[in-house]
Amino acid sequence: MHRVVVTGLGPVSSIGIGVSAFTDGLREGRSGISPISSFDASGFPHRNAGEVPGFRPETLLRRIEAARWGRSGQFAAAAARLALADSGLDPATVAAGRAGVVVGTTSGESVVVEAVTAQQVEAGFGGMDPDLLGQVPAGRLAHAVSTELDLAGESLTLATACSASNYAIGYAYDMLVTGEAEVMFAGGADSVCRWAHAGFFRLGALTADACSPFDRNRSGILTGEGGAILMLETLDHARARGARIYAEVLGYGVNCDASHPVAPDRASIANCMRAAHRNASIKPEDVDYICAHGTGTPANDSVEAQAIFDVFGDRVPPVSSIKSMMGHTMGAASGFGAIAGTLAIAHGFLPPTINWSTPDPALAGLDPVPNTARETGVRVVQNNGFAFGGNNAIVLIGAVE
Amino acid sequence: MTQTDPRMAELRDIVAEVLELEPEELTETGDFAEDYQADSLRAIEILARIDKKFKIEIPQSELPQLNNLKAVYDAVVRHSAGQV
Amino acid sequence: MSGVVITGWSTTSPAGVGRAALVDRLATVVGAAAAGTAATGDSPLVGAATAVPDGAGWPVEPPPADPVEVTALSDEPLPTPTGHALVDFDVRAHLGRKGTSFYDRATALAVVACGDALRDAAVEVDDTNRSRLGVVLGTSLGSFRSTSDYTRETLVQDKPYLVNPVLFPNTVMNCAAGQAAIRYGLRGVNATVATGPLAFLDALRYGTNAIARGYVDAMLVGAVEEFSPHRAWTTWLTGQPGRSIPTGEAAAVFLLTRADRPDWAGPRREAEVLALTTGYGPGGGPAADQALTGCVTRAVRRAGVDPADISCVLTGETDPDDTDEYAPACAALGHVPARMRVSRLFGRCDAATGGLALATFLASEPPEPTPRLALLTGRSPDGGTAAAIVRGWPGAGASDR
Repeated sequence: MHRVVVTGLGPVSSIGIGVSAFTDGLREGRSGISPISSFDASGFPHRNAGEVPGFRPETLLRRIEAARWGRSGQFAAAAARLALADSGLDPATVAAGRAGVVVGTTSGESVVVEAVTAQQVEAGFGGMDPDLLGQVPAGRLAHAVSTELDLAGESLTLATACSASNYAIGYAYDMLVTGEAEVMFAGGADSVCRWAHAGFFRLGALTADACSPFDRNRSGILTGEGGAILMLETLDHARARGARIYAEVLGYGVNCDASHPVAPDRASIANCMRAAHRNASIKPEDVDYICAHGTGTPANDSVEAQAIFDVFGDRVPPVSSIKSMMGHTMGAASGFGAIAGTLAIAHGFLPPTINWSTPDPALAGLDPVPNTARETGVRVVQNNGFAFGGNNAIVLIGAVE
Repeated sequence: MTQTDPRMAELRDIVAEVLELEPEELTETGDFAEDYQADSLRAIEILARIDKKFKIEIPQSELPQLNNLKAVYDAVVRHSAGQV
Repeated sequence: MSGVVITGWSTTSPAGVGRAALVDRLATVVGAAAAGTAATGDSPLVGAATAVPDGAGWPVEPPPADPVEVTALSDEPLPTPTGHALVDFDVRAHLGRKGTSFYDRATALAVVACGDALRDAAVEVDDTNRSRLGVVLGTSLGSFRSTSDYTRETLVQDKPYLVNPVLFPNTVMNCAAGQAAIRYGLRGVNATVATGPLAFLDALRYGTNAIARGYVDAMLVGAVEEFSPHRAWTTWLTGQPGRSIPTGEAAAVFLLTRADRPDWAGPRREAEVLALTTGYGPGGGPAADQALTGCVTRAVRRAGVDPADISCVLTGETDPDDTDEYAPACAALGHVPARMRVSRLFGRCDAATGGLALATFLASEPPEPTPRLALLTGRSPDGGTAAAIVRGWPGAGASDR
């Protein structure tokens, strides 16, 4: 059994592209929310999202031609390219097939699906562009990364919705622990799109201007986008090449509510936390910080907090939500959470929950790290991810002992 | 009057379809959540179908009160007042 | 990776619902083929051909089956009036009305197959085992139709947000796996892999890992693809002009568990999954072929079998002249075993292809009642490759306890 460490970080986000800008964004409590520009939102009552308007794939990508890939694949590949650069690894030193890719997503190449649908509406099904149809499969998210980095190992896309990055990190962890691979690029990517904006609005889960998790007056999510990839490798491999090691992946847990397609389940989430702790061989009191799923809907934040209380009792660590800054980046969300958690350990600070003003009496005892980042030592981070379909996944990251 | 208003039968069909029931299984006072295991998604969809069928916009803020067929019918009557 | 066994399975396919329907269909078509042109042994292959093993010609690959009229499945014009679909499939006949009226077709096909696979394996789900039993399903992008239709609503309605909230979860790719968990109360690892033609083999690898790592004791492992105008037009517009293969649909689901399984995981031992490997080689040509050759070579090594004992290769190839999988597989094996392309029976089934291949292998009665080895291969247009080696046991219906 090998130990697994994080040695490269690749965030492509609305609060910063690249690890340095992203770290600054977290520390400053930057908001990445802006008026929607990627589709015509004029017919919607709510018109803001966490887009990445500064994303210029051609400036980040070296091998793949952006035009041949959908926006989510571009996010994934650019994020992986950044993670590789951050790690200092020369991929040519890794044996062929020993470096792989796992990318999580909610909606895959949603922008491409919307483009071919617009063609259907305009010109009928026969009017769909064959080249665009070739870009529709979700498996191309991982393939974009594999092609960009010229990796011959596993190239897997996991579609477990809004916890998909944690699934990806967990699976990559398994591949490294068992010796199936030496280096894995894992995380997630998604793009802002009309259908998700419409669906969340219709559910009454979309807020207007600012996402305020754990606030008494929280009123929903903002949709977001981006790519979040972590480079993971075995501890032996990292040490042998003299790598800078950010943190260690301690383990993860996944389970399924099996109760409702969209409503979160307190007992099931608590069970997922316990499974993650067990698999990572830690106890609740070891956790210094919880990077929450924290979507900002009344239901999620309440259920998540109650599950935390159930598991942590009277010793609840600080719990913050970076979705307050970036919106809900769907399949990338827990990837950004894992990057934020890794940075919390590496640099000794807690990312804040911004837009927070009013305590929720129902969440008394929960410290959301309101509005301002907090300098403090962090040894173990619990990164929560929950999803439609009841797909819960929690990753534990720790300082390297 | 409820019994003769054709909208009642139409509402019954709409609600029954969304709640996955035969129309005759649905009573006027049966609670959507308690008796028919409806969730908030289904309640929102009932409002959406009423919007499309009768061109009446019932605000989502009234959802908590619309917990049975009679309450939905009353809301339709209330919001169509003046629209003829 | 070894030590994982299959204790039951089911398919919902154009042959009908359940194991018996597939067995009957194969007996009919293969019997007819055997009577006519047994053991044709088409080998326009690389110079790898050495000896043809005993039992070659089994299973006998049938001639392409005639597609059926499918216009009843679409309000939209179809590129051709025929396909390989289960036209009279009615989810209510299997599961009733409650909870199923808002399933999309992919979800319905998959949930029915999951239930039937549990029945076939004689697994009773209860509170003692539901958290140790999970689901992983493969897909290309979930239900293309559900997603595209949802987007279409935002484009053609008076107000773009007048979408049906109940259908929103259907736009997320994990819908089928989540609904299967809800239907049968399965709280263990629940995942969706979205790698198109590789998705079943990737799901098999994911499920095997989850069992091997001890996260669950058993997994329903499968893949699904639905017939829809969206897929029919995609097949038509992206295929080679004039030689488009019919669009197909199916779900195939298997109950996987440890060899030293708990009693509840099924009395039979129908097959053993010996090895699963994946790789990536984009761009076509010899370098890309090498990715699949490498997968097969590694799979043979891990399975610890003599390649000469592998008597058939089940490929995902669709074009009559296509040897993109068969040729690299034979090169790796060093001989030319029989080939079986399930696309000849079921058309282009994308993600479900590998599942249909495994079901076809298990449903085909061999001439001699001895254990038999099969190689399953998959290859995606972008460069993904996967291989599996499975040992099928004779007397599949009998208990080994």
